[in-house]
Amino acid sequence: MRWATRSGPHVDRAACAWLVRRFIDPEAEFVFVDDPDEVPADATPFDIRGAELSHHGGECPFEAFLRRYGLDDPVLSAIARIVHEADLEDGRYDAPEAPGLDALLRGLSLVRGDHEVLELSQPLYDGLYEYLKRATLLGREPA
Amino acid sequence: MSAGEWVLLAYRLPREPSTPRIALWRRLRQLGAAQLLDGLVALPADSRTREQLEWLADEVVEAGGEATVWLSRPGSAGQERALASRMQAAVAADYREVVEEAAVAGSGPAGQRKRTLGRLRRELRRIRRRDYFPPPERERAAGAVEALADSLERAAA
Repeated sequence: MRWATRSGPHVDRAACAWLVRRFIDPEAEFVFVDDPDEVPADATPFDIRGAELSHHGGECPFEAFLRRYGLDDPVLSAIARIVHEADLEDGRYDAPEAPGLDALLRGLSLVRGDHEVLELSQPLYDGLYEYLKRATLLGREPA
Repeated sequence: MSAGEWVLLAYRLPREPSTPRIALWRRLRQLGAAQLLDGLVALPADSRTREQLEWLADEVVEAGGEATVWLSRPGSAGQERALASRMQAAVAADYREVVEEAAVAGSGPAGQRKRTLGRLRRELRRIRRRDYFPPPERERAAGAVEALADSLERAAA
């Protein structure tokens, strides 16, 4: 399946792409556009004005994905809180990881192209998932 | 100063319910947007400010209002300077508050100093996110907060 989002992906779009690959569509192919009108007819848009999988009611697209695909996983919810704070910085959640993750992804987008940012951030989110999963199981941060 | 490009959000929201109005107002304040007129706000244009205003526009529409986002250039340098100095004055006042709070905490007990330090660092980070035309107070506030951190270091030594 094809998925379309805006070019210049940061924390949220990179996290959404990771989520799609890992939990929704392993064969996902991503297309970057600059204007909502450029979304190919066969692609599902996300984080684009007017899309269902976008910013709604004070939530970020990653949260919209969890809701839309019924991904009820406490570890994904923990990632959603971090992504929300990195994306919106509205202080709704206590997510001290957010500013650091935001800086890493913003920096990455300065030195690499859109598709590369997605590829390079995949293991980062895999690792974050594993770390938060262990934290959830242990009831504390893993060493 | 900025490259001269600004992103504007023109909006109209129903008076009631008031929740979306308050949420929008709070978000615009966090972003440090300058109110040009009732229902018209501006930010120096970059990829982040543009996307933030686009999301807000979507939310205004969802709340039953109307909103459009524009990229624009001020008609004169003087007009831009006036707007920039107004925005600068607003963050300068926020920084001064941090300086004052750090000074007050500096004379308090260590436990309280430590708590205040954490809070002021977070506050400083929030102010910086809406600081597009850094005033001299930015460095002063950072210095005052670090001085508070140093005083704790010395107390621990």
